[in-house]
Amino acid sequence: MKKIIYYLLPVAMLALFIAIMLSGSYLKQPFGEDDNVPQKIALVKEHVRNADWESAQREQNNLEIAWGKVTPRIQFSMERNEINQLDVSLARAGAAITAKDQAGALMELEEAARHWHNLGR
Amino acid sequence: MNEALVVMVRGIIAFFTLLIFARLLGKQQISQLTFFDYVLGITIGSIAANLTTDLTSRAWPHWVGLAVWTILVLALQWLTLKWRYASKYIDGEPTVVIMNGKIMEDAMRKLRYRTSELLEQLRQKNVFDISQVEFAVLEVNGQLSVLKKSQHQPVTPQDLNIPTDYQGIDTELIYDGVVVEQNLKQVNLDRAWLDNQLKNQGIYDPSEVFLANLNAQGNLYVDKYQDHLKKLTDIGDYPGPH
Repeated sequence: MKKIIYYLLPVAMLALFIAIMLSGSYLKQPFGEDDNVPQKIALVKEHVRNADWESAQREQNNLEIAWGKVTPRIQFSMERNEINQLDVSLARAGAAITAKDQAGALMELEEAARHWHNLGR
Repeated sequence: MNEALVVMVRGIIAFFTLLIFARLLGKQQISQLTFFDYVLGITIGSIAANLTTDLTSRAWPHWVGLAVWTILVLALQWLTLKWRYASKYIDGEPTVVIMNGKIMEDAMRKLRYRTSELLEQLRQKNVFDISQVEFAVLEVNGQLSVLKKSQHQPVTPQDLNIPTDYQGIDTELIYDGVVVEQNLKQVNLDRAWLDNQLKNQGIYDPSEVFLANLNAQGNLYVDKYQDHLKKLTDIGDYPGPH
């Protein structure tokens, strides 16, 4: 029994560490309706394309809430740079929507989508 | 997102991974490390440090780097164990730098090993007169092994035909006030014998003892917590904080 624990303990620890480090790709998937980041980005883009600024602003807020929910669970396994850049893109997209700048908003949303895609890759 | 928390989790991952990998790599002492082993150690340590604090990239690639270096070291260890040619190729071989009292200048030049270094390492081996040396070998790990001429070697009991007892190694019977039952059993003694021995030395409880060792001749060395020394020798030569 002692021998099994002697070998099992380090193996279990390494397995746990690998699981934590690789959990990002799984944890970035939506667990509910309000944390689906790619879906929300697509929705905001749709509203911006239609110049429906009120809906775009509302969905942009929902997008930031969704992103706020995903961040804490992926922070241990994802690169901080990518997280920070996605954060900045969302802030810029929000500002562009407020300013009703369609080109700017689409550019930032597209960049946010790319950062999301690159997270954990 | 809390940076400190992320660093803490990654630090725990790096620490225990390094601990497990270091145990896997074996028991080579620092003094036995070759230059390459030394560099390997630094590199692996550096990757572990990056794993902990470099938050600009994921922990996983750093961890893979750590694992790859460890696996390569293990593979090299295995290869050098199984294949002597590879061992000589990778680790190099010891070089004779003094042979029959003569300094091997060519060998030293090839090793880029200076005379001052040779003299320094000889002094570290308590050799201050180079004419006393018969052989000096520069080992793979950079240490110098010295064989003095026979007339300069200390006399041993064998030279004088004096019979000697078996030396053996000590067995710890009490450590930090606690009786080590396993060791007591190993030397075929029991608690009653130990208590009796302690009583002979005026000790009535093992908890009074810091260390008790039994040597191969059957003598028990006992050191108590209370040393009752009247005057302690102070080797300090400058008034410091203590």
